[in-house]
Amino acid sequence: MDIFVQLIYSGIALGMIYAVVAFGYQLTFSTSATLNFGQGEALMLGSMVGLTLSNLGINYWLIIPLVCVFGFLQGTVVEYLGVRPAIKIKSEFGWIMSTIALGIIFRNFAENIWGRSTFRFPGPFEDDPIKLFGANILPMEILVVLGAVSMMLLVEIFNRKSIYGKAVVATANDRDAAGLMGINTGLVITFSYALSSLTASFAGVLISPLTLAGSGAGGALGLKAFAVAIVGGLSSGLGIVVGGIILGVSETLTGFYVSTGYKDVPSLIILLIVLSFKPAGLFGKTTIKKV
Amino acid sequence: MLIIKDLESGYGKVNVLKKINIEVPKNKVVTLIGANGAGKTTTLRTITGMIKLTSGHITLNGKSIDNFPSYKVACLGLAHSPEGRRVFPSLTVFDNLQLGAFPRLTGSRPRGDFKGDIDRAMELFPKLKERRNQLAGTLSGGEQQMLAMARAIMLNPDIILLDEPSMGLAPILVEEVFKIIARLKAAGTTMLLVEQFAVGALNIADYAYVLENGRISMHGPASKLKNDPAIKAAYLGGH
Repeated sequence: MDIFVQLIYSGIALGMIYAVVAFGYQLTFSTSATLNFGQGEALMLGSMVGLTLSNLGINYWLIIPLVCVFGFLQGTVVEYLGVRPAIKIKSEFGWIMSTIALGIIFRNFAENIWGRSTFRFPGPFEDDPIKLFGANILPMEILVVLGAVSMMLLVEIFNRKSIYGKAVVATANDRDAAGLMGINTGLVITFSYALSSLTASFAGVLISPLTLAGSGAGGALGLKAFAVAIVGGLSSGLGIVVGGIILGVSETLTGFYVSTGYKDVPSLIILLIVLSFKPAGLFGKTTIKKV
Repeated sequence: MLIIKDLESGYGKVNVLKKINIEVPKNKVVTLIGANGAGKTTTLRTITGMIKLTSGHITLNGKSIDNFPSYKVACLGLAHSPEGRRVFPSLTVFDNLQLGAFPRLTGSRPRGDFKGDIDRAMELFPKLKERRNQLAGTLSGGEQQMLAMARAIMLNPDIILLDEPSMGLAPILVEEVFKIIARLKAAGTTMLLVEQFAVGALNIADYAYVLENGRISMHGPASKLKNDPAIKAAYLGGH
């Protein structure tokens, strides 16, 4: 029983990481109806840059804002090179290939800089677990959940309260009309990409002390976070948290009770089921495209 | 104030507008009337950079704004209340009004009396006051039109473009919309009004242009055009 609860805890922590990365998918999808398929690589870059900083002796708490700045810049580059040209010529699918391509390029760079092996990422806490409801939980797991939730809340508050956040929402609602209000919507889209990579690289620094950091860590994580975004719905904040937890918990439970070799299977089966019965996601609103 | 010279623009390779000339002087209301598909909305969309112009010139306050992106045109003091209202459905009425003043709140235009202007807008459109904290998507068509107009005013613009403010509204609401346009006119607001409802537009405007198949077929003082037999037959339902 203790082990079961413990697996739930780890599953939730993992799920929140998926949720944060999925949140990044939502950010760009809402403003420009495009996605950064290199989100997983943004997470990987965040953790590798964080690891480099950590090796230089920089404190974990200081690494977080530094990596966030790095992620912000990385997202800007992705938008400029991969997405802006596609939006400009109104290409419906050009951004898919170009964001995937940029993701691969980033991974190649990372493999050449840091090699292909995985490294231990020192966290800010000792590894002594805390007892919570009779089961062990790592302080780092609590930090992951708190960090993920506060990141999403911060962006929500920004969007609801500040005039710039409202400009982002307006662009998401109706890009042309937002332009007529004097909002530079191109810049808003760049900003949404920067913010989306920022959240992904932040997630990278959060998760790495629990897993391991390595240049190959991005692909699978990015894909599973994408599954979470689809399961939860590309427009629902609650949906990705619930979707993330479902996928994270199913993964840790399968990994322990069945086999680690099958741990990714249930989440992808859930994805297939949701897609066939509720294609807009568990919490997504079905929209009808008028032509 | 706004001068359009030999303007040509359209969608893809098809030019909708063929060398049109329009002038909107300061403190005047100019209307552009015409049938469906004549190019009225295209004209407004070209002015605010939503469509690229292929030739001709547009100047605002003596400054060329050819192919400026929409947000720059707004920052220069031109408000465009677009066809179909286009309010932001997931934001509140207040947020919509605030976004109308975006260039003022972010330093691209003088801030002025933002709070006072919100109060004045609510006074002009009492319905919006009641619905201040309601999401714009839940408003009725008439209320959304009021909001779209109020949002345009919040820019504190030098000129307002109104695209079919009466479209899809019940007759009583059309009357209300025109009453508000009359109040804005009395306050000296410069406007370019695009309308299919020609009677209302000609009654309120100082000057009128008639657009037919992308060409200006006639123009003159509104009072004169109102009594023109050809206009009467084509647009006013007269005999």
